[in-house]
Amino acid sequence: MLFFRSEEALHEWLVAQKVERGAVLSIPQLWELSQHWYWDRMSPNYHGRTIEQVQEIFKELGLTSEFWQAQ
Amino acid sequence: MDENLIWEIRAFVYRHLAETTHPPHVDETATRFDLTHEEAVLAYEELHRRHAFFLQPDTQDILMANPFSGVETPFKVHVNGKTCFANCAWDSLGIPAALHVDAEIKAACAQSGEPIQLNVIDQQVQKSEALVHFLLPFRDWYDDLVFT
Repeated sequence: MLFFRSEEALHEWLVAQKVERGAVLSIPQLWELSQHWYWDRMSPNYHGRTIEQVQEIFKELGLTSEFWQAQ
Repeated sequence: MDENLIWEIRAFVYRHLAETTHPPHVDETATRFDLTHEEAVLAYEELHRRHAFFLQPDTQDILMANPFSGVETPFKVHVNGKTCFANCAWDSLGIPAALHVDAEIKAACAQSGEPIQLNVIDQQVQKSEALVHFLLPFRDWYDDLVFT
């Protein structure tokens, strides 16, 4: 996952790299995702999570497009 | 190998990264848990297999224990008076999220190379016009984690 200064910079990069646009998040959206994803990562009780738990996180954050689906 | 020990080793690796900014060598882990080198290698390989962290190919060196990187990267995260390295844009915010601390993140625009700085203060990210692009859909994330 890469940072871009602007939509224009991202567009230039996609053209230069000859790759399709994936998903784009704003910094506040990324922070929200990071908090949900990593808040318990330092806990000794963190043993990973299931696909279903991941999908629940995405759903809570409104990330419901095909890009965020497991299948 | 004992299941509890496997997860204790994972927790040790993460604590070590947070405290020192680099992952423990497999022999440090062996010493910490009174294991042989071979037993510690098996534990690292098992945790790699479980995606708890990821080893450099054909080595016992930890490459990624998300959100931490085991090697220097362009994603620098200043936390607790130290500089940690993140694996990607997402993980650069993942470090303060995991540690529940303020952070100053220094990275760059992937296209222009212009610096991008983000600040997390009181568990809030400060305003920024930057964007983050996810290239691969979720279903492909574990096909090639470094690429993602």
